[in-house]
Amino acid sequence: MELTHRFTVPGSVEETWARFQDIGSLAECFPGAQVTSVEADTFDGTVKVKLGPIALVYAGSGSFVAKDEAAHTFLVEAKGRDKRGNGTAGANVTVDMEAEGDGTSVEVKTDLAITGKPAQFGRGVMQDVSDKLLGQFVTCLEQKIAAEHDGGAAPEEAPAQEQPAAAAPRHAAPQQPVSSGPSDSAAEDDAIDLGEAVLPVLIKHYGKYAVGGLVVVLLLWLLGRRLGR
Amino acid sequence: MIPAQFDYVAPASVEEALAALTAHEDAKILAGGQSLLPVLRMRLNAPELVIDLGRIDSLRGISEDGDALVIGAMTRHCDVASSALVEQHAPLLHVAVQHLADPQVRHRGTFGGALAHADPAGDMGAPALALGAEFVIQGPSGTRTVPADDFFVDLFETAIGEDELLVAVRIPKHTGWGAHYEKFVRVAHQWPICAVAATAKVDGGVVQQVRVGLTNMGNTPLRARAVEDALTGQQATADAVRAAAEHAAEGANPPSDLNGDADYRRHLVTVLTRRALLAAVGG
Repeated sequence: MELTHRFTVPGSVEETWARFQDIGSLAECFPGAQVTSVEADTFDGTVKVKLGPIALVYAGSGSFVAKDEAAHTFLVEAKGRDKRGNGTAGANVTVDMEAEGDGTSVEVKTDLAITGKPAQFGRGVMQDVSDKLLGQFVTCLEQKIAAEHDGGAAPEEAPAQEQPAAAAPRHAAPQQPVSSGPSDSAAEDDAIDLGEAVLPVLIKHYGKYAVGGLVVVLLLWLLGRRLGR
Repeated sequence: MIPAQFDYVAPASVEEALAALTAHEDAKILAGGQSLLPVLRMRLNAPELVIDLGRIDSLRGISEDGDALVIGAMTRHCDVASSALVEQHAPLLHVAVQHLADPQVRHRGTFGGALAHADPAGDMGAPALALGAEFVIQGPSGTRTVPADDFFVDLFETAIGEDELLVAVRIPKHTGWGAHYEKFVRVAHQWPICAVAATAKVDGGVVQQVRVGLTNMGNTPLRARAVEDALTGQQATADAVRAAAEHAAEGANPPSDLNGDADYRRHLVTVLTRRALLAAVGG
């Protein structure tokens, strides 16, 4: 799934850019994240996700994979694996900044793929796990930048919106190795590239893919037979 | 699969259970285990401690208290289903619980457990909401009562605090109301793709009062208030029901999944609401 959030922070583009260069503090914005080590452009850490009865701990790493200071754009890739073998999580975070009046407009595009067992619930909770993770990540980023700014003014928030990526790329610079959207086949390829071990099943979109759908139906059927509720 | 290792306690009183809950940061409550055990077995959670409420007899049973029924949180679904009190005073609950999963699950799963789990596709939330249930929650500092409108907070999230337990649910008596639970599923014992809980009081051919609850049309069970407003005071006719049911999806935010996308559910809910209301008003 991909979400685009846009917000405005006080301060020039250069100032804002400088604040984003600490990859450790970026990573800490994932809810429940603990960064265990930071080295130049990479970090290791864990992320704890809780949703109702579910509690998963992902351990993994992330790094800057593209950085264009002139265009004020960078891309961070992170991937992790659940400690108890419950699948993987991968995130592509593209941040794009441009001057807007006295402040800076920041666009954060996050492509998150969580794979794993379809659990024994009334609906596909992995999608809800993703929603929750993303929402908290962007809110944290926004607060962090606003708090670090000496002026301390609250950021003006543009309404965060979910939109298909195909409609979004306002600044589609050619050097950005970013997904063109989850609704076409290119996104599937990206998801596979993201983590070599990631199953090519984007939970959110399994309805659109016959193969993914069949796998899920089969699993649900087996689970339903074995476990009841 | 085998769950990760955990400690287990089975206290004999609510106070002991609360003490155990307060003492451990990473504890889970075991009621009937029909949702928790699969989660543990698939290792989607690995709590340090499981607190089994199964030995607390005071949490079981159905009784009358003035204008309400009081259902203990650990009362099993099968006991709700066979209760003459529930059949007489909360007919909506009586009909809905027959649709919950299968007999095996109904003989282990509990009324309070299902509500505390708060699966948006669970079959008990919408009837509880439609009946204006009150949730009796006990914590270290005493007991409080939360109305149904405030109980369901979000997906799998309720007003029950980390150090609290749901001990009972009070259901205002709806004696003499018509009721129907219309559930749409692919597999008989599964969660509904969408379901509608409707209960109505009809007098002299006029709908005096009506309550409609929706299952799996958002992150929590929902009340279809627009439908209720449209039908209240109307003649109990098929045309009036049909017109009111058109409002069923207003304010809903249904999920899209393998079983159908959000638009499909928006349409489906109007059809199911019409069927449920027709049965409930006796039309």
